[in-house]
Amino acid sequence: MTDTNLGPATAGPAPETAFQVRLRRTIDLARTVLANPTTVLGLVIIITMILMAILAPWLTTPNTPDPYQMPRDWGTVRMPPGTPGYPLGTTNEGGDVLYGVIWGSRTSLILSLVVVGSTVVIGIILGSIAGLMGGWVDEALMRLVDVFLSIPELIFALAIAAILGPSFTNIILSLVLVFWVKYARIMRSQIVLIKQAEYVDAARVIGDSRFNIFRRDILPNAVTPVMVQATLDMGNIVLIGATLSFIGLSEAGIAEWGVLVSEGQAGIASGRWWASTFPGLMIFLWALAFNLVGDGLRDALDPRTEGR
Amino acid sequence: MLDTSPQAAAIAEVRDLRVHFDTKRGRLHSVDGVSFDIRDGETLGLVGETGCGKSVTGRAFLRLIQTPPGIIAGGSIAYRPQEICPTCTGAGCGACGQSGRRPEERTIDLLRIPDEEMRRLRGDRIAMIFQDPGKALNPTLPIGAQVAEVFLQHRSAEVLAKAQLSGAVGWAGGALRRMATQTDTRTDRIALAFPGARARRSALQSALDDMVAAALAETQIANPRAVMRRYPHELSGGMRQRVMIAQALACNPDLLIADEPTTALDVTVQARILELIRALQQRRRTSVLYISHDLSLVRRVCDRVAVMYAGRIVEIGEAEALFRDPRHPYTRGLLAAVPTAAAERGALAAIPGTVPELVNPPAACRFAGRCSARIGTCTTADPALQEISPVHSVACFLHQTEGAPG
Amino acid sequence: MTQPSRDIRAAAEDLLLSVRDVTKHFPIKEGALQRVVGQVRAVDGVSFDIRRGETLGLVGESGCGKSTLGRVVAGLSNATSGAVYYELSAADAARLDAPAADRTATQSAEIARIEAAHRIDHLRGESAIRFRRNCQMVFQDSFASLNPRHLVIDIVGRPLRVYREASGSDLTERVVALLEQVGLGRQHLYRYPHQFSGGQRQRVSIARALALDPALIVLDEPTSALDVSVQAQILNLLSDLQRDRNLAYLFVTHDLSVVRHMADRLVTMYLGRVVEAGPTRDIFDRAEHPYTRALMAAKPDLADGAAGMRALEGVVPDPARPPQGCRFHTRCEVATPACGWEVDDVVRWLEHRDGLFDALTGVARDSAFAARLTFADAAAARRLDAALRSDAVPAAMRAAIYRQELRGPTLDLAFGRVPEVTLTPRGPDHAAACLLTAQEP
Repeated sequence: MTDTNLGPATAGPAPETAFQVRLRRTIDLARTVLANPTTVLGLVIIITMILMAILAPWLTTPNTPDPYQMPRDWGTVRMPPGTPGYPLGTTNEGGDVLYGVIWGSRTSLILSLVVVGSTVVIGIILGSIAGLMGGWVDEALMRLVDVFLSIPELIFALAIAAILGPSFTNIILSLVLVFWVKYARIMRSQIVLIKQAEYVDAARVIGDSRFNIFRRDILPNAVTPVMVQATLDMGNIVLIGATLSFIGLSEAGIAEWGVLVSEGQAGIASGRWWASTFPGLMIFLWALAFNLVGDGLRDALDPRTEGR
Repeated sequence: MLDTSPQAAAIAEVRDLRVHFDTKRGRLHSVDGVSFDIRDGETLGLVGETGCGKSVTGRAFLRLIQTPPGIIAGGSIAYRPQEICPTCTGAGCGACGQSGRRPEERTIDLLRIPDEEMRRLRGDRIAMIFQDPGKALNPTLPIGAQVAEVFLQHRSAEVLAKAQLSGAVGWAGGALRRMATQTDTRTDRIALAFPGARARRSALQSALDDMVAAALAETQIANPRAVMRRYPHELSGGMRQRVMIAQALACNPDLLIADEPTTALDVTVQARILELIRALQQRRRTSVLYISHDLSLVRRVCDRVAVMYAGRIVEIGEAEALFRDPRHPYTRGLLAAVPTAAAERGALAAIPGTVPELVNPPAACRFAGRCSARIGTCTTADPALQEISPVHSVACFLHQTEGAPG
Repeated sequence: MTQPSRDIRAAAEDLLLSVRDVTKHFPIKEGALQRVVGQVRAVDGVSFDIRRGETLGLVGESGCGKSTLGRVVAGLSNATSGAVYYELSAADAARLDAPAADRTATQSAEIARIEAAHRIDHLRGESAIRFRRNCQMVFQDSFASLNPRHLVIDIVGRPLRVYREASGSDLTERVVALLEQVGLGRQHLYRYPHQFSGGQRQRVSIARALALDPALIVLDEPTSALDVSVQAQILNLLSDLQRDRNLAYLFVTHDLSVVRHMADRLVTMYLGRVVEAGPTRDIFDRAEHPYTRALMAAKPDLADGAAGMRALEGVVPDPARPPQGCRFHTRCEVATPACGWEVDDVVRWLEHRDGLFDALTGVARDSAFAARLTFADAAAARRLDAALRSDAVPAAMRAAIYRQELRGPTLDLAFGRVPEVTLTPRGPDHAAACLLTAQEP
């Protein structure tokens, strides 16, 4: 038998198990992502906000009967920040701005998770069907996607929410209806590309079933840009959701950043800046953080640099 | 025929060239002490496998190495520009081999001249053609525009003269001159759109087109005017390579560096491109550094051949001498590995092992680990290139004369 | 469609794989509605056999259809017409090759039985699995053919998992055994493809192909991207494996020196058709087709000293409109008048001459061989007429014109009509499709 070709792959100690190798690869990926300082900043902000959301019932006294409603106390209206007990001041109706900021992170988290979660799932399923089946199914689905994409996201969401009536659930619904197309398109183009990859041919020559090939070869390689886009959208959804709330398409009085900005803006002319500014700042930080992390993730997952 | 004896003037003398790369694994000694001459008018082949440093050597001539992570760690490349032969003032005579030119006395160290001077040399005196013409040509520009760039950068005076605009004065004159050197501004372009100046601008353009068409026709492209209007993706691989050759030879350079120019082409197209390069080279007496991994091609195309391994030259000599009587064990292994009619199936002489990693290499022969004829000194000292005949040198202790230092 | 020449069939032997009149066309679609406006005839009527344990070389340049054909043989794509048969007995092969014209009812029934049992695109169930397991493939680009997210153990062990042959530690051991067979080892199990060199990745590919102990491996340019010394290692490995396991190879390549070394028999392809086929040694001793000769002249053997190269003129014609007669006649140095000159050749030879076709206003074709060219003025027509009588076109082409009439601005042109050139026998098992050399002594 010819020589054993010992090359770079044997440099260094051989890992014990597949698990160790995969673990090391994930750690390497994490390290690349964290090497970027802006990404780290974004991650810090996100983690802070998520903690705030999870620990909301302990950080504040939950309002009764519905903690998602801003508390109303006519005795403490329009107090400026720094007033004892109300570090960020109070709203027009006496609600604690800090309460709104903290519980608002919960609503934002719920909003973005539900919307992004559902749109990703719907988008992956429909995009995969279009990409794998091709033909008229693909054409029909993609023309539908084209129609949806030709309407600006915000206006589309606005229209749907206006039709459905103002409520938080309806905002979630309208955002899902608008955003699934983006993922369907990304998924479909990735699948069309990867379908032609030689390793897919190799799997077919082995005789593996079409489902297995999809599961093991196509899906894992296709899903990466979807994940990057999902991360970015976690930030953008809250932004658009806040916009819709600001216009008044959400429920009045709930602890949601957009609603708070909207309700507090009447006081700005009179110098009461705090009721709108702090929730507004939170919207900004949330969107910024997810965009930073999403970009960092995209750079780290660039196939040219991955794993090197 | 060409005088390629060692006494003939060299157009380029590489001495102890060292190019290293900073990588995560450490400092890669990609080219580590390479010395050779390229004689006036010869085709020198630089042969080796992946990772031997031949491409890096070629790029060093034009300083096309990214620094960082590349580092020019030492050595020199002394280039002798060509001048019009004083004996015949360019008409061609015996003293200059009928080409009308001969190398000057002075030399320029290509590794040390300022960037601006290097930019002037590139494309004009020293040109390069690459392996994949599809990647080397700009996909968004038509062929004509790309070849024209060479003329505009290096021959703008000629272009102006041809368009009879050399003496143009006034704002139009200045604008035209700037256009001829691709330094025109938006104001210039607007100015030249005016009816008065437009005629002269189109005169400039048509002079340029004539020069481009002539350059393309030299590479046997049929119907150059039509090709000039096309984009790279509309041409076949062989055609694109001809365009690249036309671009490279447009300004009649002294030295052409060809980095695997035919690897990406079919065998029959390959043969035609090689014939073309040979013909053009002989007509203009251009020196060629031909980088390749294909031994059979190199044998037919090159006057002399240098074999590289792990950043060093292990053998160099006249093509026939080297192929008929290879001395270095690596050269022999390489030649024996090529499948030929005589080889028995399953018994191709494969060189065991792989190329060593060039990070901080120890002082030893780099081939020692894979060499079946290894002796004691091979693992303790670096062999230097030594002449075993006037036309053949080897870097191997097995062939060193006594007293030769490692 | 050509009648498959009996001389490139295996005589009275059982065959492993038989290709019969396979064509593979790709539609050319244009416009918003994606109308089909033509066909790229990548493979246009190819027949050959592969026997157990032998290597058949499939040689040609890019665009000749060899890779496409390799994929059809491996079952990755379906032929447009014709078929690939697996494990035909000698008797069945003879029945298939007998002329279809005068088949009796029993014979037709026999053919139907053969087709159901042996055609790879008609196989079902057990026999389909049998074929799949016995016909594997190694691809040219080792990087692209290995899933970048899978470890070597996943890649090489996958065939075993798909057919449930092993699992767990048993699987690991079998993978290690396969890796050792190709010159790798246990330490390579848990690595990703990008951590290997090109040669090692190709070994992984080969190990995967061997996992199910196949009878045939289709090798699509397996060493084209490798260095010479690495290529030697891989070729040696392939030879050893063939000897140890009685493997058959379909070796697709453009490199004549490799195929000369590796292949027992050889098929040269040009523009989708076979131009020459036969034992490797016979063909290299005396090639019977000008294209095979051109391939050899373009890259002579390294050992042949300073033998000069000879280059081939012209470009490969559009595979959607292959030339008539012999497809190679547009570039052949020794073409005869009967080699298939047609109207398109007028354009091919003269389109580069300044202004000959600038004034062309219309072409009315009666067939590929006859047409009326109308120009804007009589002078332009006269110029073309003169060009066709001059040295600008080959003498053979001039001789093939049997009508050339000038009527004012119209030039009426007709060439002699010739059929496709078919393979004719040149020696035992050796055939070539060339009119000229068929007449040589």
